[in-house]
Amino acid sequence: MTLLSVKNLRVTFDTEAGKVEAVRGVSFSLGRERLGIVGESGSGKTMTGRSVLRLIRPPGRIEAEEMRFDGIDLMAASERQMRALRGQRIAMVMQDPKYSLNPVMKIGAQLTEGLRLRDGMSAKAARLKAIEALEAVQIRGPERVMEAYPHELSGGMGQRVMIAMMLIPNPDLLIADEPTSALDVTVQAEVLSILDGLVRDRGMGLIFISHDLRLVGRFCDRVLVMYKGRVVEELEAKNLMNATHPYTQGLLNCLPRIGGNRSPLPGLDRAAEWAE
Amino acid sequence: MSMIEIENLSVHYPAKGQLVRAVEGVSLRVGEKDSFGLVGESGSGKSTILRAICGLAPVSAGTIRIGGEPVPTPRGRAFSRRVQMVFQDPYASLHPRHTLDRTLSEPLAIHGIGGSDARVVRALEDVGLPAAFRFRYPHQLSGGQRQRVAIARALMLEPEILLLDEPTSALDASVQAETLNLLNRLRAERGLTFLMVSHDLAVIDHMCDRVLVMQHGRAVEELTREALAGAQMKTDYARTLFEASADRMLGS
Ligand SMILES: Nc1ncnc2c1ncn2[C@@H]1O[C@H](COP(=O)(O)OP(=O)(O)OP(=O)(O)O)[C@@H](O)[C@H]1O
Ligand SMILES: Nc1ncnc2c1ncn2[C@@H]1O[C@H](COP(=O)(O)OP(=O)(O)OP(=O)(O)O)[C@@H](O)[C@H]1O
Ligand SMILES: [Mg+2]
Ligand SMILES: [Mg+2]
Repeated sequence: MTLLSVKNLRVTFDTEAGKVEAVRGVSFSLGRERLGIVGESGSGKTMTGRSVLRLIRPPGRIEAEEMRFDGIDLMAASERQMRALRGQRIAMVMQDPKYSLNPVMKIGAQLTEGLRLRDGMSAKAARLKAIEALEAVQIRGPERVMEAYPHELSGGMGQRVMIAMMLIPNPDLLIADEPTSALDVTVQAEVLSILDGLVRDRGMGLIFISHDLRLVGRFCDRVLVMYKGRVVEELEAKNLMNATHPYTQGLLNCLPRIGGNRSPLPGLDRAAEWAE
Repeated sequence: MSMIEIENLSVHYPAKGQLVRAVEGVSLRVGEKDSFGLVGESGSGKSTILRAICGLAPVSAGTIRIGGEPVPTPRGRAFSRRVQMVFQDPYASLHPRHTLDRTLSEPLAIHGIGGSDARVVRALEDVGLPAAFRFRYPHQLSGGQRQRVAIARALMLEPEILLLDEPTSALDASVQAETLNLLNRLRAERGLTFLMVSHDLAVIDHMCDRVLVMQHGRAVEELTREALAGAQMKTDYARTLFEASADRMLGS
């Protein structure tokens, strides 16, 4: 079943220096599955994710033939309808987690705010639920972290707090933008298994934006490969390591390997026609 | 000679009711022109060690020496010419209302270094950003583009020592390769010394001669590159990290 469908999405910024076309006609559909998005830095992955929530600030603008989530026309929805969807039914873990947390509010207050105001939970019950969410993402000493401000967390703790916060309302769709880039491999595995469980058991849809090709190949069902605002290849994640597009192959060749010979890593000859 | 010597470093933060022991009795030495890696659990104190070197964390015990001399407090200008850090969180470390041009030329102005125009253009080119980005603000960049600005800024003063906190974790494979190649080339050409943090053991293996594995604020085990690649670790934790990185091995 299709949860989200996006047809011919474009994101354009009108800047003083001219038009920047960050996304140029991206189409995809998502069921209750794990869709990976990989690709060049600056290729429009984050802007694609933010577009689904209509979180593009002026002078940026979004155009699309269709953007539909669970029967709701996202292009036509009022700002009020969008606010009701954001965080509740569609959540996004931002690429700069510490930047998206409120810097002057304790982590505990940020985690429990929604539970208390929206779900009318008692302070005590909300606190327990928040601590549970922190424990699930492998935070050591969750009581201490509840009392901490964002600047008192390590990079990876900030990422995990953000994931915990986004998962508390049980969204139907989670857009995770580089959610595990600051995590060591063992903590990362735990966090991925939580996301995996939500997709499998609760039927959540997941858009997983990452530059870690090996991780995406292992973890996702399908992968979109982006280059300069376009999708250049779409494939089953298990086939990612045998990708056919020269850009995707080029990406795989640039990876360092444990025990490699340490000579300069192969570069990528970016052919202009990939962007056509 | 050791370029960076850290002996029995402890960093404690006061938190409500209890002390956060971010770093507890860690020692390490990085020789001149060497490249040393820090890996380990998220929250284990890696960034705190780099921040302590720069005078940005409360050192409660231990000593830090650079080039054989204890670091001065405050660190001062001579220190920042010599030692530069690339922060883990590039968004937070770039001034939101300064253009890239200003971000990159300011260190030169502070230190009275001329020729800033040409240097800024060169720095952008080095990290693979178009010259047209010069007058953009951080919010007009993607995550990886911001990270590259942070690297470019650290290189502006041509320091001898670079402290690199996850310098490529926000970069795709191709830009990561270009950045790692640039860093290695600069190290060879200018004789730089690196202390770098990464979660990717393949990046550490590619860049570093030795690596310290950390957990819970403590040093768990130090490994040479050969011992890392040859799976000759002695502690369970280091082995767990290694085994969870099986997809990064040569031939996998
Ligand atoms: N406010 C803005 N004004 C002009 N250009 C912008 C603005 N915001 C983003 N861009 C440009 O849009 C393009 C796409 O950005 P996006 O953040 O989606 O990239 P990304 O694929 O997420 O990259 P990364 O992997 O580096 O995070 C980039 O080239 C960026 O420079
Ligand atoms: N200003 C602060 N006040 C209180 N505690 C702090 C502060 N800064 C860091 N800490 C704590 O110190 C510990 C170590 O943090 P550090 O940032 O060094 O970890 P890290 O190894 O870099 O982790 P990551 O891989 O997630 O970035 C964490 O428990 C963190 O919460
Ligand atoms: Mg991005
Ligand atoms: Mg860190």
